Amino acid sequence: MTDDTTVRPDSGPGAPVLAATGVVKRFPGVVALDDVDVDLRAGEVHTLLGENGAGKSTLASVLCGAYQPEVGTVFRHGRPVELRSPRDGLAHGIAMVHQHFRLVERFTVSENVVLGDPQLGRWLARGAIDDRVASVAETFGLPVDPRARIHDLSVGQRQRVEIVKALYRGADVLLLDDPTADLTPQETEALFVTVRAMTAAGKSVVFISHKLGEVVEISDRVTVMRGGVVTGQVARVDADRHELARLMVGRDIDLDAQQFAAGSPGSPCLIAKGVTVRDGEQTALDAIDLEVRAGEIVGVAGVSGNGQRELADVLAGVLAPTSGVVEVNGQPIRSARAARAAGVAYVPEERLGTGLAPSLTIGENLLLTRRRGALVSRSAARRDAREIIARFEVKAPGPDARCRVLSGGNAQKVLVARELAGDGQAPKVVVASAPTRGLDVGAIEQVRALLDDARRNGAGVLLISEDLDEVLAMADRIVVLYRGRISLEADRASADRGAIGRAMAGIA
Amino acid sequence: MIVVRLERRVATPRWIGVAVPVASVFAALVLAGVFFVLTDRPPLTVYSEMFDAAFGDVQGVKNTLVSATPLVFTGLAAAFAMRMGLYNIGGEGQLYAGAIAAAGAALLWTADLSTPIAIAVVFVAGAVGGMAWMLVPALARALLGTSEIVTTLMMVLVADVVLDYLISGSTSYWRDPLTIGFPQGKEIPDAAQFTRWFDARITVALPIAIVTAAIVWFVRNRTSFGYGQDVIGDAPHAARYAGISERRTVLVTLLVSGALAGMAGAAEIGGRIYKLEPSSLRLGLGFTGIVIAALARSNALGVLVAAFFLGGLRNAGQSVQAVADLDLPKSVALMLEGFILLCFLGGQVFSTHRLRIVRREPARRARASAGASS
Ligand SMILES: Nc1ncnc2c1ncn2[C@@H]1O[C@H](COP(=O)(O)OP(=O)(O)O)[C@@H](O)[C@H]1O
Ligand SMILES: [Mg+2]
Repeated sequence: MTDDTTVRPDSGPGAPVLAATGVVKRFPGVVALDDVDVDLRAGEVHTLLGENGAGKSTLASVLCGAYQPEVGTVFRHGRPVELRSPRDGLAHGIAMVHQHFRLVERFTVSENVVLGDPQLGRWLARGAIDDRVASVAETFGLPVDPRARIHDLSVGQRQRVEIVKALYRGADVLLLDDPTADLTPQETEALFVTVRAMTAAGKSVVFISHKLGEVVEISDRVTVMRGGVVTGQVARVDADRHELARLMVGRDIDLDAQQFAAGSPGSPCLIAKGVTVRDGEQTALDAIDLEVRAGEIVGVAGVSGNGQRELADVLAGVLAPTSGVVEVNGQPIRSARAARAAGVAYVPEERLGTGLAPSLTIGENLLLTRRRGALVSRSAARRDAREIIARFEVKAPGPDARCRVLSGGNAQKVLVARELAGDGQAPKVVVASAPTRGLDVGAIEQVRALLDDARRNGAGVLLISEDLDEVLAMADRIVVLYRGRISLEADRASADRGAIGRAMAGIA
Repeated sequence: MIVVRLERRVATPRWIGVAVPVASVFAALVLAGVFFVLTDRPPLTVYSEMFDAAFGDVQGVKNTLVSATPLVFTGLAAAFAMRMGLYNIGGEGQLYAGAIAAAGAALLWTADLSTPIAIAVVFVAGAVGGMAWMLVPALARALLGTSEIVTTLMMVLVADVVLDYLISGSTSYWRDPLTIGFPQGKEIPDAAQFTRWFDARITVALPIAIVTAAIVWFVRNRTSFGYGQDVIGDAPHAARYAGISERRTVLVTLLVSGALAGMAGAAEIGGRIYKLEPSSLRLGLGFTGIVIAALARSNALGVLVAAFFLGGLRNAGQSVQAVADLDLPKSVALMLEGFILLCFLGGQVFSTHRLRIVRREPARRARASAGASS
């Protein structure tokens, strides 16, 4: 088929490998993209930077063919192309790694990689496929076992599988949507090695993030977005963190993690004694003793997967420990209901699906942990929702919006507001797990302020976070969790970053 | 060039809940019309005869209400479970069990009772019977996670056999010892036979059905229990997080669902049949309840509307058999019901997706030929 289409003047070898001009995409109630231009050159890392809801994911979806723009054109090597589906995008060598992975849990890595591959014949030559997958993985520094099953893999490993999948299909443009949102610092480093290997091999990467530090580290160019429009574009050489932050948020921002004043601890309100959680052979928590006093924040540092989730669940009564006891103000906690009744608020690690029911409305989700009588009033809940939306500047179509349409940051605002700011009754104990992970600057400020308020109001707060800066900025005391044990305990005054880092890595 | 495309909806607008069922009914009429044409019956005549029979005059509407009454109960039974993602396919069996219990209780206790108490006895017995029939599937689902779809369906077969056994296979308490030759059920005492109103078989079962629908609606939408059902149906982890017991909620939901289907059996015994008679009970009312719940999108008030409509269809099926020159069996009603369900299930895609008509200028169509594989 010959192509007699309009060719843009800048087509040819020097043209951007992928570009889009004048892109408009609306969703009900929002203009997600409003006349956006963007271009990607061969071998570069081009970052889309912006707060939650800025339109980054939507733009990437347009570039890979998952969404069709209402107005605007996508160009591949200077030629207009029409991408009607991600499959079309892939046929053009464009692949997206979504923030929420799309892998079949029961399948092996290789099976996932070849799933839906049009080149795949009628029979699976497993051996050959495994070998090819392994060789692609190795070329780009992505250690994965082709025969491992997805459900056994960590978040970081799953992401590698998604990237291998894209590379295996021969993509030379990779769109990575918020790839570092759920990664540990080590995994992030490993990802950057891979990104550099890909660009060295001539591939181009669109990198999406809202974390300034890493953006400056990895990008060749940065396009900053806010509210569906491009607010600026800078090359890395010009990248100034303050300028980027201003473009992103629309006002000046104090970048250094704000140091919070220490609390004035009273008597212990949350006590865990000898808490052990065993799941078959695995020991998730090993005889943990922990005490949180009223009016203080105890920070739990550590790389995720070292028992954080179990610890939070046990303290909030959601998980019954194999042995050991949890008490809140002298009352034993044996169920989630008992914990709630004793005044425990819990912000779980997994927001959508645990902290919030995705298909229920914002209002209905506010009822989830409220004390409910025999009857519930959805209209009162709707009023509550309106209030929270206004007070915390939640970007949502309204109180009847289902939580699954909210962006991560806005969903978290709803969740944290429900747990900390609702009901007129201040919580006595707060368990917060990764409360600011993946949020943008503005939302982080709000969430931290709410935690600080809870402390001032005399709550005992347990802050579980992988972000050591956050723990150091907020906590009165710090414990480090490593392989289900507390490997270090320190006061804020005596906290030493180096020692904490070693404790997190299990080096005594 | 104009392209029609299916696009995922962000939110389901309210009107869809009405438009999809209505449109699927129309589509079903068109599809079934093909059969009428092929068999040399003018479809429009068939439909107008049916419509007249079901809704055309006062007598038709009365008969439709009579047919609709048990369907409200079986529809509610299916809907109550369906809204939290549980599928009670065995309403038919629970209806039989409810009928057995209702007839048994009526025979045992109601001879000397006043009418209102007798009515209560019949309905309570029906509910208990339906619930008992659901007990094993409900426990298996709540404690072991066994699929309720399979177990409730199997229980229909058991109920079917039990029903035959009680009347034709044994000299049970339910069987009339005086019948010689063809075995029959014993007629229940007068007090338990619901009074007929308006020169039709409309009985107290109809208002009870309507009130029951209102109660079910209230439970689903205004109570903590109904809220818990919503949460579990959507996100079991969130339920665990919030301390809502999945086990308890599943158990109660399925038992109530069984009880509702059992009440349909009670309504049939006290309002229409007056004795346990297998052939009169075997109308597939329980299965039609599933269709009703689907059409009503599990909404209790929608069940009233859908039951009225499908009741009309059944009633029309009865009537058109009598129209000599059409020569139709009454099972046309079941055929139409099947078509409606199929069209409705197909139409569901429009509640999650919408059609978008896109106009494109040919000049812009520039798919690289190299990439257009598969
Ligand atoms: N599928 C969708 N349906 C409705 N609104 C959406 C959808 N996807 C994104 N949005 C809205 O579009 C805006 C941009 O979202 P998104 O591209 O996800 O932002 P980002 O990735 O920068 O956080 C937000 O206001 C978001 O709520
Ligand atoms: Mg995004």
